[in-house]
Amino acid sequence: MTEHVEPLFSRPLLPLANTDDAEVTCATAFPRIAAAGGQASVVHVIEKAGGAPDKAGVEQREEVADELFDIARRAADDAGIELQTDLRFATDVGDAILEAAHEADATAIVFTPRGGRSWWDLFSGAVREELIRHSDRPVVVLPPADSDKGGET
Amino acid sequence: MTDEELAKDLGPLAALTIGIGTMIGAGIFVLPGAAVQQAGPLSAAAFVLGGVIALLTAMSASELGTAMPKSGGAYYYINHALGPLFGSVAGWGNWMGLAFASAFYMTGFGQYVVTFLPIPSLVLGGVTVSAVKLVALAGGLLFVFINYVGAKETGKLQNAIVLILLAILAVFTVFGLLNADLAKLRPFVPPDKGVSPLLPVTGLIFVSYLGFVQITSVAEEIKNPGKNLPRAVLGSVVIVTLVYALVLLTVLAAVDNSLVAGNETAVVDVARLLIGPVGAGAMLFGGLLATASSANASILASSRINFAMGRDRIVSTALNEIHPRFGTPYRSIAITGGFILLFILLADVNTLANAGSVLHLIIYGLLNVSLIVMRVSDPEDYQPDYRVPLYPFVPILGAITSFALIAFFANTIVLLAAGFVVFAMVWYAAYARTKATKQGILGKYLLQQSEQLPDAAVSAATSVQPDGGYRVMVPLSNPESERDLISLAGAVTKANDGTLVGVHIVKVPDQTALESAREEYDFAEADRLLEQARVDADELGVDMETHTVLSHRSFEEVFDAAETYNADLVVMGWGPDSHGSPGRAESAYEEITHALPYDVLVLKDRGFDPSHVLVPTAGGPDSDLSASIASVLREFCDAEIELLHVAEDRDVGERFLREWADERGLGDATLTVETGDVERAIESHATDASLLVVGATERGLLSRLVSGTVVMDVVDDVECSVLLAERSRSRSIRERLFG
Repeated sequence: MTEHVEPLFSRPLLPLANTDDAEVTCATAFPRIAAAGGQASVVHVIEKAGGAPDKAGVEQREEVADELFDIARRAADDAGIELQTDLRFATDVGDAILEAAHEADATAIVFTPRGGRSWWDLFSGAVREELIRHSDRPVVVLPPADSDKGGET
Repeated sequence: MTDEELAKDLGPLAALTIGIGTMIGAGIFVLPGAAVQQAGPLSAAAFVLGGVIALLTAMSASELGTAMPKSGGAYYYINHALGPLFGSVAGWGNWMGLAFASAFYMTGFGQYVVTFLPIPSLVLGGVTVSAVKLVALAGGLLFVFINYVGAKETGKLQNAIVLILLAILAVFTVFGLLNADLAKLRPFVPPDKGVSPLLPVTGLIFVSYLGFVQITSVAEEIKNPGKNLPRAVLGSVVIVTLVYALVLLTVLAAVDNSLVAGNETAVVDVARLLIGPVGAGAMLFGGLLATASSANASILASSRINFAMGRDRIVSTALNEIHPRFGTPYRSIAITGGFILLFILLADVNTLANAGSVLHLIIYGLLNVSLIVMRVSDPEDYQPDYRVPLYPFVPILGAITSFALIAFFANTIVLLAAGFVVFAMVWYAAYARTKATKQGILGKYLLQQSEQLPDAAVSAATSVQPDGGYRVMVPLSNPESERDLISLAGAVTKANDGTLVGVHIVKVPDQTALESAREEYDFAEADRLLEQARVDADELGVDMETHTVLSHRSFEEVFDAAETYNADLVVMGWGPDSHGSPGRAESAYEEITHALPYDVLVLKDRGFDPSHVLVPTAGGPDSDLSASIASVLREFCDAEIELLHVAEDRDVGERFLREWADERGLGDATLTVETGDVERAIESHATDASLLVVGATERGLLSRLVSGTVVMDVVDDVECSVLLAERSRSRSIRERLFG
């Protein structure tokens, strides 16, 4: 059943972790999506403690989400592509991204690297690992457009 | 599950354990020694009294919490009800109160650690830092660090810690009861002092009852807050009071008073005596858990309060930046941590306890007052699910007992508290007043009642309102008139060195929930309109902020938005398509416009051209606004001004107009005096004018837009643009425009 393979960039999902990540990811990926004539979905996951107080208040995290969706909207306008935003609350960020990709029927999950593995991934759980190991669709890691400055934020 | 349900994932047990976890550490593990030394068995009564005072306030906190489940809790309610002056006191008080309390918990933690670890004191440049303080500093650093990197597991650990603690204390109490001898409780009241130590000891141990209000700081995360918040708040106070009283009574009945009095880790020694080494170990472990969980919960709560303060511009929003990797408000946590370490270094354990208690008592008093204000002013959106029983006696008693207990602290502590309140007020006056955007319910209420209340109260209320600079709000809906409105509003903003606030109100059909509209609505058009307005404002060199407001109403929302964004002047367009047709909203805003707290300009836009401005005047306050606008247009748009007065007698009319113009700095304008019909005179002179500025000569300009009076005919008959001006009813125009 290989009658039709959709291009990777026709309907990708981009997880955005923070404002810097949103800037870099959108600037890197959107021109490629535009070139493929595709449309983009961005997802931001607010991590919940699941029955205990969160690290930061929900309203506070929602403000951050608004900010990074604004960045994505502006970038999408500039690139001339359609954009869907998706805000999720979940205890497991990786799972939530996979679920969002499934619901959006994304052609790929696209992100830019945010620095190397750090010892505090022990605390936070490595979302990247989760995506690469458990995704049922392609995962694309894009080098940041300006790779001199990319990476650690 | 909806997103909202996912966002609110704190169940009733988790909410309860925040309260118990914060409270249970101090009262039984750190304070019995000091309390029993001062009051003997009577100290058990002090714990009960403290619990009762806390319970009164807990009822008020519950009602406010169910009405406003918001991040920031007590601070938020006080700021909302009493305004940002008291908001500053509450915010700083709650923040520093938690820092003092955390320093206290950490010092208690240190006392427990040094009983089993031989740690030497440190001598640094002649200053000795005791072993207890060294451990306290290390512990403080550890918990600040944990919150800084934000391991979400620590939150869940809290639930387990509380359950383990309650279990340990239950076993301990059973052993105590088996060995109890009621004779040891006599004399219950110390024979040499009588009941006089009761209130001072209540003050000392009151730090044990700070936890319940921390539940409200995470109110927005609690599932079904209408039910669960009061259960958690009241439940935690009742449970903790019972535990304290029971444990202390059994301890004092089981062993000699002398073993407890003055003993920093009394419960450990009692447990060793009653149960043996295992008991002592368990109590030691319990003490460590309890002080650690209290400190941890306090650091977490303080960052929520910082966030709420930043949102209201009481402190800089820079404090609230979220760490890109950890997802924590790291700056707020780091600064709070700095204060905790400083307080550990500077003060002894009793001073820390007292300072934490006093600052919280101020907040508890204000919380009860806030409840009364909310009930009396009864704003429309105040719909608590839980209501305080026996209102108004309970909150009044709560306020009196909270404030009165402060008097029983040592003089230095009372001075510290007073100095702190003064500091917070000065902070508001010097820093926050020009930035704070929110007006309290109390201030609004006093201004609305200004005719019934004594002048002093009203002027006091007015003078503490946040001013946030001069703010001109422009509701924007129509791209065609956007530029004209911005030009006009921009000129006035510039003249007052103020801020322009562009608001786009998106009308959402009644059947669509605002929350879902927020997600589904396409903001592209609104963004473009506001973006263009920003560009236009930028060209004029005016600061502009923009907001998009979703509402089920459109025209009426303008008035709510004006209050929300603290406008001094609202400049709006008027035409068939602006803000919904005014003609159809009469009943709704007739009422609103009775007491406008801001000036209003309505532009009937036929092209904004201020080259020749005609201002008819018959004197009166609203034509003062017309005159001010004319001056602004002359200064910033090179307008030529023509003043028109229609009089019965030409000489009298000329004298009046000359004087009127001179007084308003318009002496060099063209002065025209006519006799005869007012309307016809205005119309004939308007043929040469490019803009007609008409002041409302009586109350309710906006109502008259509907009813069609003389002025309205003029508006329809002339060919130039018309600007209708109505001044606010609460402050003089000079004060507002040229203030």
